[in-house]
Amino acid sequence: MGVTPYLILSAILLVLGLTIVISKRNAIVMLIGVEFILNAAALNLVAFSRHGIGGLAGQTAALFVIVIAAAEAVVALAIFLNFYHRIATVDIDRGDQLKG
Amino acid sequence: MLERLIFVLFALPAVVAGVAILLSTNIVRMAFWLITMLISVAGLYFLMGAYFLGVVQILVYVGGVAVLLVFGVMLTSRQLAPKLRPGPVETLWLATVSAILLLGLVLSILRAHTGMEPLPVPVANSPADIGHSLMGDFLGPFELASVLLLVAMLGAAYLARPKVPVQNPQGSKGGAV
Repeated sequence: MGVTPYLILSAILLVLGLTIVISKRNAIVMLIGVEFILNAAALNLVAFSRHGIGGLAGQTAALFVIVIAAAEAVVALAIFLNFYHRIATVDIDRGDQLKG
Repeated sequence: MLERLIFVLFALPAVVAGVAILLSTNIVRMAFWLITMLISVAGLYFLMGAYFLGVVQILVYVGGVAVLLVFGVMLTSRQLAPKLRPGPVETLWLATVSAILLLGLVLSILRAHTGMEPLPVPVANSPADIGHSLMGDFLGPFELASVLLLVAMLGAAYLARPKVPVQNPQGSKGGAV
C-alpha cells in the first residue's frame, strides 16, 4: 500500500476540519476543527516518514505538531473562558467589541 | 491486503467522526467524536510503525486535550448554546467551497508522483532513536518547544485567573480589565 491512501485521508480530514471551523459559531467546536486540521498535518508527516522521505524527521516533526496543538488548546481555552466571563456566551459572533 | 483492511478500519471512523461533528448540534457528542478521530489516527500511527507517536497521541491528545475540551464545554455551556447549524444558504456555500477544495486536493494528490512504496524495513523508530533525533538534529526546535510550553502554561494561568465579570464595558464602572 503506497502513500496515496494516507494523503487522501489526510486531505479529507483537513477539509472536514476547515468546514467545522468555518461553519460552527461555538468557539470550542472551532477548536475541535483546529484539532482535525493539525491531526491531518501530522498524519501526512508520518506517512511520508514511513514511505522513505526524510527518515525519522517526519515522526519528530509530528511530535512537535502534537506539542504545539496541546499548547494551542490550553491558551485558546483560557481565552474562551475569559470571553465567556465577559460576554456570558461562547458565540464568536458576539465578540465584536473591537469594531470601530 | 490485511494492511489495507486495517487502514479502512481506522480511516472510516475518522471520516465518520468529522461528518458527525458537522451534522451534530450537541457539544458533548462532538467531543466524543473528536476522541474517536484521535484514537483512529493513533491506530494509523501504529499501522505505520510509529509506535511511540501512537502512544504519545493517545496520552497527550485523548488524555489531555480532549479532557480539556470537555472541561471547556462544561464550563461554558450553562447558557443557551450558540447556533450550531448554519442556515440553508450558508450550508450551500459551505458545501460548494469544501467540495471544490477537497476535489482540488485529491486531484493533485492523484496526479502527483505516487509510486512510493513503504520501506521494506521501517526506519529506525524506537523511542531511543526519536530521543537521539530530538537531541541531535532537532535540538533547537526541542528547546523552543520547551519554552513554548512554559509560556503557554503561564499564559493560560494568567488569562484564566478569576476576576470580576464585566457585563457592560460601556457602563460607568470599568471593573477589572
